[in-house]
Amino acid sequence: MEYVLDIPVEPPRELRSLFIPIPPEYVEDTYKSDDFLVLVGPQHPGSGHMRLIVRIKGDIIQEVIPDPGYVHRSMEKIAENRLYIQNIPLVERPAIMDAPNFNLGYVRAIEEALDIEVPERAKYIRTMLAELGRIGTHLYDAAILAVFIGHTTGFMYPFGLRELICEALVRLTGARFTSSFIIPGGVRRNADESTLKWIYDMTLAMERRLKSFERIFVNNPTVIARLQDVGVLSREEAIKYGVVGPFLRASGVEYDVRKIEPYEVYDELVWDMPVSDAGDGYARFLVRVNEIGQSLSIIRQCIKEMPEGRVISDQIAENGKDIRGSFYDSLSNIVLPPGEFTTLTEGARGTIVFSIVSDGESNVPYRLRIVSPGWLYLRGFMESLRGERLADLQAIYGSFGYFPPEADR
Amino acid sequence: MIRLSKVKTDPVENLKRHAEAIGEAVKQAIKPDRITVEYPRERRRYPECFRGFIVFDKEKCISCFRCAQICPANAIQMEYFDKAYPGIDYAKCIFCHFCVDSCPTGALNTSKVHDVAFKSMDEMRLSARQITRVPEIVREEKQTVEYYVDRNVWKLVRRRELDRLEVPPKPVKVRERKAACTEPESCLGCRLCANVCPQNAIKVEKCEVSIGEEVTGTGCVLQIQTDLCTGCGLCVRQCPMQILTLEEVGE
Amino acid sequence: MMDVVSYLYETFSSNMMDIPLIAPIVDFLTKIPLINFIVALILWKPFFAVIIMPGLGVMTLYLLYIVWYERKLTARVQWRVGPLEVARPIRGAIQTLADGIRYFFQEAIVHREAHRPYYVQLPILAFIPVLLPIMFIPAGSAVGIYTPYSIQLTVTFIALIPITIVAIGWASNSRFAYIGSVREAFMYFAYEVPFIIAVISMIFLYSSGDAYVAVEKQSAIPGALLNPIAFVVYIIAMLMATSRLPFEIPEADQEIAFGPFVEYSGILFGLVMVLAYEKLYIMTLLFTILFLGGWSGPYCPLLGDLNGPLWMFIKTIVVISILVIVRSIYARYRLDQALRIGWTSMLALSIAALVVGGVIGVWLS
Repeated sequence: MEYVLDIPVEPPRELRSLFIPIPPEYVEDTYKSDDFLVLVGPQHPGSGHMRLIVRIKGDIIQEVIPDPGYVHRSMEKIAENRLYIQNIPLVERPAIMDAPNFNLGYVRAIEEALDIEVPERAKYIRTMLAELGRIGTHLYDAAILAVFIGHTTGFMYPFGLRELICEALVRLTGARFTSSFIIPGGVRRNADESTLKWIYDMTLAMERRLKSFERIFVNNPTVIARLQDVGVLSREEAIKYGVVGPFLRASGVEYDVRKIEPYEVYDELVWDMPVSDAGDGYARFLVRVNEIGQSLSIIRQCIKEMPEGRVISDQIAENGKDIRGSFYDSLSNIVLPPGEFTTLTEGARGTIVFSIVSDGESNVPYRLRIVSPGWLYLRGFMESLRGERLADLQAIYGSFGYFPPEADR
Repeated sequence: MIRLSKVKTDPVENLKRHAEAIGEAVKQAIKPDRITVEYPRERRRYPECFRGFIVFDKEKCISCFRCAQICPANAIQMEYFDKAYPGIDYAKCIFCHFCVDSCPTGALNTSKVHDVAFKSMDEMRLSARQITRVPEIVREEKQTVEYYVDRNVWKLVRRRELDRLEVPPKPVKVRERKAACTEPESCLGCRLCANVCPQNAIKVEKCEVSIGEEVTGTGCVLQIQTDLCTGCGLCVRQCPMQILTLEEVGE
Repeated sequence: MMDVVSYLYETFSSNMMDIPLIAPIVDFLTKIPLINFIVALILWKPFFAVIIMPGLGVMTLYLLYIVWYERKLTARVQWRVGPLEVARPIRGAIQTLADGIRYFFQEAIVHREAHRPYYVQLPILAFIPVLLPIMFIPAGSAVGIYTPYSIQLTVTFIALIPITIVAIGWASNSRFAYIGSVREAFMYFAYEVPFIIAVISMIFLYSSGDAYVAVEKQSAIPGALLNPIAFVVYIIAMLMATSRLPFEIPEADQEIAFGPFVEYSGILFGLVMVLAYEKLYIMTLLFTILFLGGWSGPYCPLLGDLNGPLWMFIKTIVVISILVIVRSIYARYRLDQALRIGWTSMLALSIAALVVGGVIGVWLS
């Protein structure tokens, strides 16, 4: 039985005097209906760089209003003043570990416009890079999920395993994560045999260490109790709110850009897509853990089946093994034909949309449009929080893997 | 497609999972699998393609300005000594090594240095003189560490030796290019190309026309001395009539 | 005046600890007029038990040790090394001392909305229910105040501690501190009832609330094997009571930014941080008496009366050292899940322990 107390409650002083990005009528209405507002702000150990305005009644969340934009760096506007080739380090910096996927999306848009044919060996190397980025991002997200529910060992293990990925990227490209390695026409350098053998052994070593991680974190009863049946999104809701990526697959929808519209060599390799029906936090986490296993097998297949040949297309440079020396002459003054060119890429957290509008005459893009997956599933994330407890806010945040720099660009 | 189902949470399964988690932690507590690199007492060994501090070789530079134009962060500024040489601002550099890839003669190269400390922002703008060799850093390490993997284990391998921080420069195999004029009769005689050439390889001369003779073209003769030309392309970019181009010579 | 001094000296020296190891030094010092008073005071059994061992003196040493040990053990499980640099030859063992000194130099900020007297005084007042049980817990023949109800008194004082934590959160007058206080109050209800029932079941087993009787009856089999259900319930209640993972709910760092202690800084923060560790120490002392045979251990003739306190201290330290590994294994439960555990599984187990304790108690006497 609920007893309504007719005591007039005023909103606290700081909510009226300081700037809050919600209308004051909302604040008054909240306090009149016996709820109160908690600001889980950008300086909170349990949120990224984003403010969440949570309206709670007792311990149950009624509604969450997000306030993103703290890390907005106006990437799309800066891109209008740089050459096409100079935009490559720019667009790969939203999601640091996922950089190869962003890089790939942008370069594929340019190649589609200029009709450049990429050699086979370059396609295999690009696929390998994309999968390495995907594994790195999934490990990072698992670690953030662990720290949000208080499990410090579950934070240290994935970050340790991520060191292996960074070492693999150093041996391939030279830089640890944002490597700017994919250019229109192929990749910048060739990969030699010892590097590929090291990466092959690395996937096997990582699988062994992942078993330790599974025993102590993924199958931990407290983690299962914390994440199961929490933040459930049914199949219709997930489609209605526009959720993408592994979070859509965790709600039962079989959608993966790599299977529906394959690019690079994804249709020639043998791999599976994990789908779950539960739609809760634990399903979203398990889908990503399974994807790590699938990505490791894709990398092994790429290494075994990699053909010999050039890595740079002959429309771009003459020396097919190394772009060194002819980078400027071949790529700095490319001019795209007029029109709009769009690509879809499956990043680690969902679908990345790149769209370049060119006017046909200038060597800078007229308009570059990037839609990152974080921005696409933000609405679904907010809707899944209704009706949950306040302590579940961090658990659901971690299970979605929301990364504000990627969503805000 | 792999279908994942809901996980069972009956007490027997939970007890098994508890036992596994506790067992894993106790095993690590007794015999840990540490992967800590105790920097700066030991240094990680990086491969030769590592993107570190950029080293500049003055002899090979042809002052083509390509590195300054390609840099996405505008970190290279050319400084004029006898010719124009690049100076790098390490406060802006993002270590993408686009400049290293653009240099047609291979004057810019990588090294393995990644931890230089500067005391102020002004010190970070290094001039061309300062980047001719690897900077002086204090090396406190006594051994190098490397990651070793095979199908069973991932561990650190330590060797009591110091790593060489300079990387031997790799030669660039690019076809040699020289400047050439495609339409000599359109030459205006503005002499912009002759003024900008760092090697003074272009000569623009008026041709002698006597009174009464018909003047064909603009009356100037453009001559490029191909043995002095280094193929930098500055004249190509300066010509307002866009009649100069770089042609590949050699076998 | 001299009568008072001599009367005091008579009381002290009649009840002194007899340690054959340092007996020659004590005999020598007894002859010097002023120092013999001080030596008699130090070795007076109640003073020794309360201030030196197993009381405040070794508790400070334990605090310096346990924070460093917990960080090193957690680091070992997590593939890393832990604090190392402060005193490199001894692997960073004085890290806690360095942290404590740093807290002294930090500014202790009292914010405008706080209730200033309570905010500043409560961390110090919170130590009263934490430290009082030391007077009643005996160790060998050394005890502060002898009472046949020592176990019940200890449980009573332990039950008073959460009230001070709720008051600390209330005095901070901040949103997250309020949520933390409410959670602490809920958790208090969850663990208190099974905890008290488990202790009562052990009192049934020994048919007395006197610590001396409890230790005597454990001469053959320790209490852990006599009533293993109460053993398990006590351990889980200890994890809940001292806010250790997986029940670190009032002080959840990521959800409510450290709960009732969110506004503390400087030396006040140092004080509230050690509160949980000292509560753990007291509960483990009680645990040793009830389940592990208290101060009984192999008798070393050199140490004489020091045997009791020393064995009790060693057993306590070993139990705590094994218990801190739980921190690296588990995640944090949600509040309603922890309450459900406390009110269903633990309550059922503790009532089963009560029955077992009653049956074995009748069989023992």
